[in-house]
Amino acid sequence: MGEKIVFKNYKEMPIRAMSVADMTWNLTGSWRNIRPYYDFKLSPCRVGCPAGEDIQKYIFLLIEDRAEEAWRTIIETNPMPAVTGRVCFHPCMEKCTRKDFDQSINIPGIERSIGDLGLENPGWMKKTKASKKEKVAVVGGGPAGLSCAFYLARRGYAVTLFEADKALGGVLRWGIPEYRLPNTLLDDVITQIVESGPITVKSGTALGKGVDLESLEKEFDALFLGLGLAESRALGIDGEETDGVEAGLEFLRRVNSGEKVDPGKRVAVIGGGNTAMDVARCALRSGSDVTVIYRRTRHEMPAISDEIEEAEHEGVNFRFLAAPKDIITKNGKLEKVVFQEMELGEPDESGRRRPVPVEGKTFELELDRMFTAIGETADLGPIEGRVGSEWNLIGADGESYQTSRKGIYAGGDVVTGAASVVEAVAAGRKAAEAIERSFTGAEDKAVEEPKVIGFEDINTAYFDHSNRSLLPRIDHKEAVNGFGEIHLGFSPEMLARETERCFSCGVCNFCDNCWVFCPDVAIIRKEDEYEVDYDFCKGCLVCVIECPRGCISTREEGK
Amino acid sequence: MRPAKIPTEELMTSGHLACQGCGATQAMRFALKALGPKTALVIPACCWSVIDGPFPHSSLKVPIFHTAFEAAASTASGLKAGLEMRGDTETVVMAWAGDGGTFDIGIQALSGAAERNEDMIYCCYDNEAYMNTGIQRSSATPAGAWTTTTPIKHYKKRPKKKIIDIMAAHSIPYIATASVAYPLDLIEKFKKAREIKGTRFIHVFAPCPTGWKLAPELSVSMARQAVTSKIFPLMEVTDNGRRWSVWKDFEPTPLQDYIKAQGRFRHLTDEEIEGIGRETERNWQELLMKERISLELPGLESE
Repeated sequence: MGEKIVFKNYKEMPIRAMSVADMTWNLTGSWRNIRPYYDFKLSPCRVGCPAGEDIQKYIFLLIEDRAEEAWRTIIETNPMPAVTGRVCFHPCMEKCTRKDFDQSINIPGIERSIGDLGLENPGWMKKTKASKKEKVAVVGGGPAGLSCAFYLARRGYAVTLFEADKALGGVLRWGIPEYRLPNTLLDDVITQIVESGPITVKSGTALGKGVDLESLEKEFDALFLGLGLAESRALGIDGEETDGVEAGLEFLRRVNSGEKVDPGKRVAVIGGGNTAMDVARCALRSGSDVTVIYRRTRHEMPAISDEIEEAEHEGVNFRFLAAPKDIITKNGKLEKVVFQEMELGEPDESGRRRPVPVEGKTFELELDRMFTAIGETADLGPIEGRVGSEWNLIGADGESYQTSRKGIYAGGDVVTGAASVVEAVAAGRKAAEAIERSFTGAEDKAVEEPKVIGFEDINTAYFDHSNRSLLPRIDHKEAVNGFGEIHLGFSPEMLARETERCFSCGVCNFCDNCWVFCPDVAIIRKEDEYEVDYDFCKGCLVCVIECPRGCISTREEGK
Repeated sequence: MRPAKIPTEELMTSGHLACQGCGATQAMRFALKALGPKTALVIPACCWSVIDGPFPHSSLKVPIFHTAFEAAASTASGLKAGLEMRGDTETVVMAWAGDGGTFDIGIQALSGAAERNEDMIYCCYDNEAYMNTGIQRSSATPAGAWTTTTPIKHYKKRPKKKIIDIMAAHSIPYIATASVAYPLDLIEKFKKAREIKGTRFIHVFAPCPTGWKLAPELSVSMARQAVTSKIFPLMEVTDNGRRWSVWKDFEPTPLQDYIKAQGRFRHLTDEEIEGIGRETERNWQELLMKERISLELPGLESE
């Protein structure tokens, strides 16, 4: 800080009127009535992600060429970014601030790139050893179980993972076709998770198949049930057992196991969810003409809209407002199905308009095969009467993941009903945290919710309009010829272009604007942060407005 | 350290006496970052003769010669001649004057120096009125604006003087406009000017929150909108006043937004604002026309 020079008499004055000192003795901070301060906020994509991935951070790290740290950031909340980058319904993109500017960021594309990098660089996964005395059994090797096992193992708890099938993966393996999620990739992801820590896998074992609840309770300190929904819901009409009527899930299981299938030429798929889309597109790839028949309209379909569009482009036919009424057989084989035409009535408890039959209006379709995909349900037989359930789903607390029975936790589809991979992953991680709290007696940290950035907080003057980069892909005509993965990953150039589009809402990415525009040179530029020099900041708040991403907040002085 | 957007050397220090959100200080900081420490300034009466600080202090790390209101260009001419006589050809001399000291009071000296093609940079930082004496109109005050000498009942009716046209008519090697909202462009233009011999005139748009009755935090935003609403185009005139080039690669914003944000225009009716809009558009078209004509002139030096 410079010194103020005061002349006591004329003799002290220099001969020439020449300045001899600077002005830094003049602490202009005393002029200030409002104080700017760095206050990073939450980007809405992160709020939109059920797993709570710190999307802004990993995109920033990628831009900085710090891919390993980017991967580490995702792994904090999601052990399988290569999977969710491919199959997630990406609610993050709905929340992306850039959506209101031009088009949201291709977050799944970026996530997938990072996930794939994590598989290409096995050294990134630091291995943990068992360091705690408690042992946990995880029943179910789907996304919820894998996630729960992974986060427990990372915390040093020995985990035994029970899987009914030969191989781990659950719905990822038998429910999602190879063109969306290749089996070899899934194998790599699972290997990485299992080998990351003290996880022992017992495949071909399930409750009621080799082990029972009581013995597990005796052997382990806690149990996590991630059983998923592995049973197809029945139509509830006569003739469902007929040769030619098949549960969609069963068909997917056969296709995904590599079995050669021939569903015949004329195929109908009943239902409007993701399973229906997967079944339809698998049947299409097996040479069938496929019609999806859904009792409501396209608008009410629960499937991911991208998947519906893909199915349409590939040549799946859709018939809306119809439901199977009678199955007509010939020589014990399916011959045709009578469909009841429907119309939309009043909204039901799900908010969607309820389909009601139109009196006297039916049509017939001659079919070689009819697949049912109207929903999945759990097989709770082995825990019946011991763990509380409702509507054939396990009842578990939304925060603690605790079931009615002490020491037993549950999460994923078997608790929520058919949801998504990312929600199951989130439940697995949160249950792992809850299980640890039950061991250590620690309280759930109540964190204060930071402010979420909105589009109005963004200074759009600093951004140029640009379209979202789409993943390269094989075209629809070629795609239906086989089960090869449709979407390919970003090239490094495409990835760089897409990450650069991120606004980095609410979190500083060192754009320098605050430092550049401060009229009072009162922003100190440091290696990894900026600091307001309150000795000199006059409180003009230019930095607040010129920050493109809303990182600076204000408060009145003296309050 | 991460690479910085603009040079990190600071030749202007904190503690200066400018108002909150002052555009003139940003202009000085950027200009000096571009020109470097081997710069000598000549400052006539203007905000900056106050901002710099009271004797014997200065908030700039380069020498400043304070001079009379009308004398910036002639003093700078003399300073440059004196430096040359002493064998210093490295130091760049820059006259740094406000709009009053350039458009009105200093224009005779400026015109003389430019006609002689004195080897100096003349920078006018334009805050569109005599601000440090209490917001009196200058010939740089835009039509429609309130000042203390053009009160609301008699707000300024005459348009802003076209100083770039005047300077272009002097056939000097380099003329540019710049804005504090576009620091990279501003710095580039000063760097370019430093390498040219002869009179270089740079007109920097520098908002004055105090005189414009504007919230200080909006000062950079206003400077940006002045450009994007075409009321203050960014341009360069090279080849001795013949070759015009105008920056057009921006997303236009409505002039209404620019006008309505500022208290000095608050009295204007929507019709009056529309009138200003028409005038702005005509000036813009005229400028583009000049650019086209300048491109078609035979015998033009290529850039």
